[in-house]
Amino acid sequence: MQMQLGIGAIFAALFLILYAIPNWVSSPSNVRNIVLSPLFWPYILGGLTGLTGLALLLTGRQRLGSGDPVNEPIDDPRQGVLRLTAIAGLMVATFWVMPWLGMVWTSMLAFVALAFLVRTRHPVTAFVCAIVVPLVLYAFFAHVASVAIPQGELVRLP
Amino acid sequence: MKLRHLGALCAMGLGLAAAPVLAEYPERPINMVIPYGAGGATDISARTIAEPLGTAVGRPLVMSNITGAGGATGSVVVQNAKPDGYTMLFARVGSHTVSPAMKATLPYTLDDYRFVTVYEINPVACAVRPDSGIESMEELVSLTESEGTSYSSSGVGSMLHLAAVFVLDEFGVKDPLEKATHIPQNGGGAAATAVLNGTATFLCTNTSALASFVANGQLKPLMVTTDEPVPGFDAPSASSLGKSELTQLVGWTGIAGPDDLPDDVATKWGEWIAEAAGNEKFVEQMTARGSVIEVMSPEEANDFIQTQYETFRALVDKLGMRIEG
Amino acid sequence: MSLIDSVMAGLALVGNWEAFLSLAIGVVIGVVGGAIPGISATMAVALALPFTFPMQPINGILLLLGVYKGGIFGGSIPAILIKTPGTPASSATILDGHPLAAQGEAGRALGMALWASCTADFVSNLALIFFAGFLASFALSFGPPEFFALILFSLTIIAGVSGESLLRGALSALLGLLLATIGLDLVYGTNRFTFGDPNLMGGLNFIAVLIGLFAIPEVINMAWHPTGHIGKVQKLGSKWVTFAEYKRSFRSIIRGSFIGVFLGSIPGIGAAPAAFLSYSEARRKSPNKANFGKGEIEGVAASEAGNNGVAGATLIPLLALGVPGDVITAIIIGAFMVHGLQPGPMMFVLNVDIIYGLFIGLILSSGILFIVGGLAIRGFRPVADIPKRILMPMVLVLCIYGVFAVNNNIFDVGVMFVMGWVGFVMSRYHIPAAPFLIAFILGPLLEDNFRQSMLMSGSSPDILLRGPITWFFWALTVISIVAITRGTLRAAKSKD
Repeated sequence: MQMQLGIGAIFAALFLILYAIPNWVSSPSNVRNIVLSPLFWPYILGGLTGLTGLALLLTGRQRLGSGDPVNEPIDDPRQGVLRLTAIAGLMVATFWVMPWLGMVWTSMLAFVALAFLVRTRHPVTAFVCAIVVPLVLYAFFAHVASVAIPQGELVRLP
Repeated sequence: MKLRHLGALCAMGLGLAAAPVLAEYPERPINMVIPYGAGGATDISARTIAEPLGTAVGRPLVMSNITGAGGATGSVVVQNAKPDGYTMLFARVGSHTVSPAMKATLPYTLDDYRFVTVYEINPVACAVRPDSGIESMEELVSLTESEGTSYSSSGVGSMLHLAAVFVLDEFGVKDPLEKATHIPQNGGGAAATAVLNGTATFLCTNTSALASFVANGQLKPLMVTTDEPVPGFDAPSASSLGKSELTQLVGWTGIAGPDDLPDDVATKWGEWIAEAAGNEKFVEQMTARGSVIEVMSPEEANDFIQTQYETFRALVDKLGMRIEG
Repeated sequence: MSLIDSVMAGLALVGNWEAFLSLAIGVVIGVVGGAIPGISATMAVALALPFTFPMQPINGILLLLGVYKGGIFGGSIPAILIKTPGTPASSATILDGHPLAAQGEAGRALGMALWASCTADFVSNLALIFFAGFLASFALSFGPPEFFALILFSLTIIAGVSGESLLRGALSALLGLLLATIGLDLVYGTNRFTFGDPNLMGGLNFIAVLIGLFAIPEVINMAWHPTGHIGKVQKLGSKWVTFAEYKRSFRSIIRGSFIGVFLGSIPGIGAAPAAFLSYSEARRKSPNKANFGKGEIEGVAASEAGNNGVAGATLIPLLALGVPGDVITAIIIGAFMVHGLQPGPMMFVLNVDIIYGLFIGLILSSGILFIVGGLAIRGFRPVADIPKRILMPMVLVLCIYGVFAVNNNIFDVGVMFVMGWVGFVMSRYHIPAAPFLIAFILGPLLEDNFRQSMLMSGSSPDILLRGPITWFFWALTVISIVAITRGTLRAAKSKD
């Protein structure tokens, strides 16, 4: 695992130094001194990432197989991956639907979806909570804290 | 079970949606975006006017601070909002004249907004530390010419940044970008602190931000950018120094909507703001902080902002200060 | 006016039930606000501000100070119970507080958090009263070079919170430093990794990153392994913190209080780094070093002492210089100004009654915090008993609302989700999250102060060693790096 990390860090550093920083960080042409350039600090960070990666690789080789912390195994890895994909999809959907549907209704749907995704043992409670929690939060944030909670295009709450 | 709940939910939703659609503006709370953080000049100004303005509007005004990128993040939210008058912006000198003049990469221009008013003007003052030995603008200018000085600001493209350059340029410093070093800080409070602790020689900022330091004798004002002297500031006005061009250099707060805001909405705002700014308590609180309450009609506001923008833009182009990257 | 006269004048101002009540209301608002992620102490103070305008100046300011102090403590409640810091200052409390909650000892952790908070608060208030003048003059000698040295030293905290592997901690910190570069460049105003998106130009919102990194991975983990928590009790527990434990942690609490006072009196650092520094110092000195991060009560004590120690001390630059030390005091300055008071040296001459009134009120506030905090812990008790598979969707929804409310921006919700996945992957690879967070806070400060120093000196590096303060912190930095290196080498040897 440490080896993977090390290799990953080295690739990330190379990507940063060779592609990301030159392309995505802009620097004016009239920079007086290299240490003042907007590029200076990102390059240092890129270099340090590479060094850390190398160090991880070296120490990882020394104690291959031993000393690596182990993750707790789960019974159904295949379904686990499916559930992870589902929750990722849920987050993407929540983010894109929210401006259109409004935060309250989106949160209700997200609540129900997540509760059933993790196979809750209290479906009725989950359902009630899914309706009550976003409404209570809305009441609090919108009317006590006076935050403009996004209302969406369809149904407005008072 | 699940279905019945969903049904109930839909019914509830329909009931709410069936509420009157064709009511007169404003029929619900208006979201007012403040593009700067809590405690800053814009925030205090906005929250002070919120109360009388809310009374005039007759609907709650919901204040939302959306900070980031020198006011750009919040401004963009209003730029992209529906022009229905329910999302309005507290525009400020930094976000709407200085930044457009200085930043080529800014995601909006002045044309993306329709200004309904400018209601507050803040004069600008330049100040140094009392123990710096600098007693007047002339001494500051000659020190800049001979040894070079430095000035602090609340960030690149902020009013403080442009103000210092503008002042030095007006006082005849050749190549002020080379002679005076800009030391940007994070925010207006830090900019004042930088002069207090000797990091920078001077700063030019709103009198409201300097008032307490001046009253306490921690900072010495050298000049105010007005025609008349400002109470509490023992310093000559720009006009008395013969630099009347500098009176363009003032801070302001106004209200804007997206550019295709309907006329009737703009007219309504003009009426509301005139009523709100007449509120005695509001005027008293704002003048106590060094602001001048001056309500402009939508047309006046547009002219005022356009003129200031062009003045700033001309300076930026002359000195090559525009940020392209 | 003699000291006695001043104190009497102050007493005359605050010796009434209105002042006492405002303070108590403030503390209640603060604790509740701090306990709701996304409200945070900052927002609670900002929300309470307009309500203080019609009040007597002293009562209004006391109310706001109550909110501030309550908020800093309140943040530790969700940090311990649901691993979501209610306020950035309480992120260090998660490290040991949440493991304790997972072991069914949330009550003990919360109790210790309260005791440590009140003690540190008291120490901080005393420091304000006795050393305001001295510390304030010290604060103004901190220019960019001094800050740079101080922050460089503070970054060595990372070694203390890296857990089992220093290299993984370093990787985590580098990731934090890199993500903190997103936004507009300080000196030239050019874009860095923004892809032209105005939402990215302001940089990643700190709260969104914080909540994403700590709370969302729990939600994702629940989806990966829905039954993983079964068999592990998550309860408030019957055990309450004992006086013996308090006594055992007392040194750490006092040390944390002083770290808080010191960092709080310097404008621009804030409570979160103080909490982390206090935590890592406590860990370094403790005989139970190995238990830190796994549910060590002293860790909770140290973190809470560190952040509450800041609360009184940030008023030092505020009252003595008129300089706000952080966002919260910047808002409180607004309250002073509305009432025509101008904080600064002259205030000690012109409004000495208000100054002493505030001092007396602050001393009272520690006691009120103790009572209100104790009630709040009981009030939030049910949270610990909610079944986890109902709690997690609740946490998700709460985080969505909370993160939105911080900056009224849906984009931040997206940032939170993405950071949640980063945090999940990091935890799968056993990369600790705390170094990421510290680096994310301190990284921009380090870079900005370095570049400001270079601007001051015309790019000559000599300025970084310009005075005794810089020498002191450089020396500390070197000493701690040597100590860390030796410790790591020794650990590596003993493993072989």
